[in-house]
Amino acid sequence: MTFQQFAYRNVFRNFRVYAAFFMASFFSVFVFFIYSMLMFHPASEKGFLGNVSLLGMLVAEVILMLFSWFFIFYSMKAFLEARSKEFAILLHLGMEKKQLSKLVFLETMLIGTISSIFGIAFGYAFSKFFFMIVREILYLDELPLYFSWEPFVLTLTVFISAFVVISFISVLMTREAKLIDLLKGQQYINVSSGYSKIRAFLGIFLIGFGYILAIITTFMTLPILLLIIPIISTIGTYFLFTDTILAFIERIKKRKKVYWRKTRMLSLAEQGHIMYSNRKMFVVVTLVSTLAFLCVGVLSALSSYTSQYDKLNPLGIIYKGNVDNPYEVAHISSLIYELEEAGLSYNLTRFVVKRQTSTHTSNSVEVFSATDINQLLFSYGYSMVRLEQGEAMFIAYSDDSIKELENTTVRTTLKENNVDLVINSVYPKLIFPDAIISRNAIIVSDEDFERITKPFELADIVMPSYHLYAFDIANWAEAANIGLELHYAVAEAYLKDSYTLPFYFENAGLNYSYILAAYSLFTLVGLLVVAVFLLAAGSFIYFKLYTSLEREKKQFDVLKRMGLTDSEQKNLITRYLFPQFFLPWGLALVHSIFAFLVLQAILKNVMNVSLGKEIVLAFTFIVMIQVIYFYLIRWRYIAHVRS
Amino acid sequence: MAILQINEVTKVYEGKVTHRALNQLSFEVEKGEFLAIMGPSGSGKTTLLNIISTIDHPTSGEIILEKIKPQNLNKTELAYFRRRQLGFVFQDFNLLPMLTVEENIVLPLTLDNQPLQVMEKRLAVLAEQLGIESILEKRPNEISGGQAQRTAIARALIHQPSIILADEPTGNLDSHASREVLELLSKINKERQATIVMVTHDPIAASYCDRVLFIKDGEFFNEIYSDDRRQTFFQRILNVLSLLGGQVGDLSTIRLP
Repeated sequence: MTFQQFAYRNVFRNFRVYAAFFMASFFSVFVFFIYSMLMFHPASEKGFLGNVSLLGMLVAEVILMLFSWFFIFYSMKAFLEARSKEFAILLHLGMEKKQLSKLVFLETMLIGTISSIFGIAFGYAFSKFFFMIVREILYLDELPLYFSWEPFVLTLTVFISAFVVISFISVLMTREAKLIDLLKGQQYINVSSGYSKIRAFLGIFLIGFGYILAIITTFMTLPILLLIIPIISTIGTYFLFTDTILAFIERIKKRKKVYWRKTRMLSLAEQGHIMYSNRKMFVVVTLVSTLAFLCVGVLSALSSYTSQYDKLNPLGIIYKGNVDNPYEVAHISSLIYELEEAGLSYNLTRFVVKRQTSTHTSNSVEVFSATDINQLLFSYGYSMVRLEQGEAMFIAYSDDSIKELENTTVRTTLKENNVDLVINSVYPKLIFPDAIISRNAIIVSDEDFERITKPFELADIVMPSYHLYAFDIANWAEAANIGLELHYAVAEAYLKDSYTLPFYFENAGLNYSYILAAYSLFTLVGLLVVAVFLLAAGSFIYFKLYTSLEREKKQFDVLKRMGLTDSEQKNLITRYLFPQFFLPWGLALVHSIFAFLVLQAILKNVMNVSLGKEIVLAFTFIVMIQVIYFYLIRWRYIAHVRS
Repeated sequence: MAILQINEVTKVYEGKVTHRALNQLSFEVEKGEFLAIMGPSGSGKTTLLNIISTIDHPTSGEIILEKIKPQNLNKTELAYFRRRQLGFVFQDFNLLPMLTVEENIVLPLTLDNQPLQVMEKRLAVLAEQLGIESILEKRPNEISGGQAQRTAIARALIHQPSIILADEPTGNLDSHASREVLELLSKINKERQATIVMVTHDPIAASYCDRVLFIKDGEFFNEIYSDDRRQTFFQRILNVLSLLGGQVGDLSTIRLP
């Protein structure tokens, strides 16, 4: 038997032992390859992903690569640790350290190569499926499967080199344990529970402080807090795992009445040990999971925003100009020209909007005439407005405001012209997108509209009235390239201190294409990162369990002799595993919920989108995955312990 | 009165090579007796102990402990049976590393959900009797082998089991600690009327017992009872061991000082 044969037989005759490491490598390769397939897709050069930049995908790929490397390295270390006794026997039989390194290297390369091949094969098999998902998400017409050498070469290069480097490093890094300890297995694990009261307190304090900051965040304080909160929370999380939890367990231990009861003593003591010896891993898992949850949350928020965008923006193109806007005619005719050139059908409505002061609130209101509005409503296909003289109707700016205004009746007088009005209804649909017209906007009958002749009392400061051109375009998504010049002019003016242009322009299709691009990028990057992170976070815990399995097995054997029933054993295992899984993930969940409170504060201002429902849905999904994961690993663990 | 009866117990391990570990073995243990079981490697000592511990089942034959037949109990009842009737002392102590000494000792009582007062009372009595009061707060990795085994003995005693099963309790101890532990076991045997069944290789350890039972290849070989002097008992044990054959390594060369 040659040395190579020895390594080969080692792997293939004990495949069960190697299975965990194999699966970890396999999944890393699988995910990486599928993503590479997308990145090298021939259509991507033609810009099939809209504006998803290749750079963004490249960055994601690099992050993915680094993370997979770390993940493989970690699994490798845990795997070697679990096999230390086997290595001790080999060393005892006279194997040189150099030969051992060679053995590990050969084995790793063998597993690495096989898992790479399997990963790529399965990856290729599943890439059509993945492309179909991407196509659905990005609303693409088609995204065919293709064959090209690049993804194969890239994946193989990345992973084979990773296996070479990692097998060398991990052998170098294995601690030089005494042969005797390795052979006999350490009689007693090092149990310690050192914690400092100050840091234990800091753990709670910093996290709590971070949460409070998150709650009180406003749009103004955001930039500073956005920097501070993550730092505070990270430090707090670290202290929580290194000290606070231990301090807490020690406190319970001091109360014998609570502690010395049934299996509680065992589970708490074991808990303390697990927490102490894996504290750093728990910090990493918590932070990684928080990131993953945030990705999921942002994704769901974006998806809800994109799906609502249609409803929030009924109009295609809006041009708003002051009464004395000198470019009005030129701009409108150029827009019409562009639309006709592009062959898009549209419906143009011109509004004259008058500004008046309401006696009811003494604020200004924008007044629309029923005829103008009806013209637009007709082109939408909505029901018309019919108003008697002296009657008026609110124009809502959001779904919430429709509900709010539904039962509101206001008697008011337009101060400048002394027009008495009863506003007793609201138009039940959104007519204009938010922020185009004022939030105090009403429709009046044509007769009343005619009576408004005297201008707004503060006409020197605010324009008393303006012209609004609404282009209703059925397929506004296709009109993304209309009025680009105007768009840039407006965008530029927005960046200045005060907005000085006499006109304003908004193209929903163009904005939508930007949002869609950002959303697509986030989806592609996010889904992948989430998948890998969640997988890795679970696997870290599994590998940790795997390394301490021998010790646990012996312990349960002793307990069984002492009369631990099977159901108590199961119960005990659940209690061992439960905090390991749900403490980091639970904390990550709470972290991300508070992070979303911050996000909500921003989004309320920017997008007028409420995230509640989507995020609850997404997080429920995550919790479900974790529960399944937990039961899966518990099942394996019980089977291992009882075997 | 016999507290433990072993009747015609046979254990056959099925597998690629069928192996008969115990063959129609019968003996009885009286209440308050300190019994040693000796035999060469592979004679079935550990199998026997596992069967008495009820974690292994005999292929045929029966065991009766305090009028209970464990083979008639289901898994949960067996666990409760072990929890209340049996105490264990192991060769490598098997203390749980994350528990302190006192927590290790009261573990059987906590599993049985006893009130705290009972636990503390029994712990205090035992700790004094075994001389481990000073180490109660320590962890297993901070105490010596002798102390660890005394802790294990305390753990085996605290729930006042009908019988204590000891598997090579001196196997990992130096001669000084060995003697301490053996004297302790014999003291407990006398003072508390505790019934002890000890499996051992060591003739010195066996010489502390009331009776030594020899088994070979899973069958009864011989038994001898102690006399007034431990010296002569030890000699007689050695004589039987030399008859027993086995291998050279099984015959300890240690003589009493």
